[in-house]
Amino acid sequence: MIEILLIVCAPLIGGLIYGLERKMRARMQNRQGPPLLQPFYDMWKLIDKQAFIINPYHTILGMMHFISLWMVVAFIILGENLLYVIFLHLLSSIFLILAGFSVKSIYSHIGSNRELLAILAYEPILIMLGVGFFILNGSFDISVIRENSPALASLFLLFLAFLMLIPIKLKKSPFDASEAHQEIVGGVEIEFSGVFFEFLYMAKWLEYIFIYLLLMLFAGDNILLGTGLFAIVFFLVNLVDNATARIKMSHLLKIVLGIGLTLGMCNLIGLSYV
Amino acid sequence: MFNLKKYRKKSPWILHYNAGSCNGCDIEILASLAPKYDLERFGVVNTGNPKQSDIFLVTGPVTLRSRERLVELYMQMPEPKVVVAVGSCSCTGGVFRDMYNVEDGVDRYIPVDVYIPGCAVSPELIIDGLVQGLEILEQKTKEMEKPLKLFKESTCEEGIVNRRDTALKVGKIDEKN
Ligand code: SF4
Repeated sequence: MIEILLIVCAPLIGGLIYGLERKMRARMQNRQGPPLLQPFYDMWKLIDKQAFIINPYHTILGMMHFISLWMVVAFIILGENLLYVIFLHLLSSIFLILAGFSVKSIYSHIGSNRELLAILAYEPILIMLGVGFFILNGSFDISVIRENSPALASLFLLFLAFLMLIPIKLKKSPFDASEAHQEIVGGVEIEFSGVFFEFLYMAKWLEYIFIYLLLMLFAGDNILLGTGLFAIVFFLVNLVDNATARIKMSHLLKIVLGIGLTLGMCNLIGLSYV
Repeated sequence: MFNLKKYRKKSPWILHYNAGSCNGCDIEILASLAPKYDLERFGVVNTGNPKQSDIFLVTGPVTLRSRERLVELYMQMPEPKVVVAVGSCSCTGGVFRDMYNVEDGVDRYIPVDVYIPGCAVSPELIIDGLVQGLEILEQKTKEMEKPLKLFKESTCEEGIVNRRDTALKVGKIDEKN
């Protein structure tokens, strides 16, 4: 019962996290910042705006992105197979990329290209994460992972690699080249307007839930540790976001693939032989 | 009933366009977005994307080269929207008035809702003007407002309105009038 409730409320919780984050970023820069419920105000406003449809596929693919992402979150909450979750998440990103390529705008194409490159960078780490949990627990099931003791110590290097992946997924500096406001005007989002942009906006909130739920898997059955991890990582990600500048896509690939893959590999080899 | 209109005021997303200004006013706009004046506390986001913005901040006296883009950007913004002319030169032409290469002010081309005078405007005035713009935004309907000049009727094919290339080419405006 509580799971159903969590799944239905997932976008709302994501919105709250997003609002909290904007507030916190503002406080870090010593300013007042928008109200906590700002994302919801944006949401109501977007419903009321006129919407342009570029072509039907574009809008439908945008909605599919949102719905499949919601399914991913639902699967995690229900404790399904981790590999399914990772690949379904890949599918939802693919929807977004296809939407980006379905219009004529050049910025949209650049955004899609960069999104593809970002997937190339973070997907191997996600899969290695799944393998790491499998070696440790003997199962890909999230419900099993949640019942076991915290995996943070034995998967510490993978955890570090996962930390590098969070800014890419949440579009935070230094790894936010795939969205890049003002530079390529939001990339794939550029042609969405009104209610249809709404879906993308809410998908962003679901992305928060997805990433932080994955993060909490490291804490296993220890809920206190999970909450602590969430708080610390949330703070760290925003601190890094405020303190760094955007880097180029090629550098992103080099850094994330170079460091992340090495860390992950070391951890996996260590797990299977030690 | 649940009134959606009241939320328009709470999340204005702005689009900033430089129609040939000297950059004085642009810097002031950026200053009012920066931590000291903190426009974000009203929910303002500088989107840079016409399709998702509500408030159109125009600086500059509209040079001949920038007229088409001005109308094009205006048409790409979904209703309801508010146009704010920032700086003396976008209100009246300012120091550039009556020069051969500028049109005197934004309101020759698109309907303006709020004028903010000053050369350069101070960030306080920009904030004041924006907040007034929000009041106007709340009363607007989704009715399409038309730019005054340089505007070609949008074509309609099979019920789909096409607003691409809505601005006339600059040479054609003389034929039209
Ligand atoms: S009003 Fe003055 S400062 Fe502002 S753009 Fe015009 S000339 Fe520059």
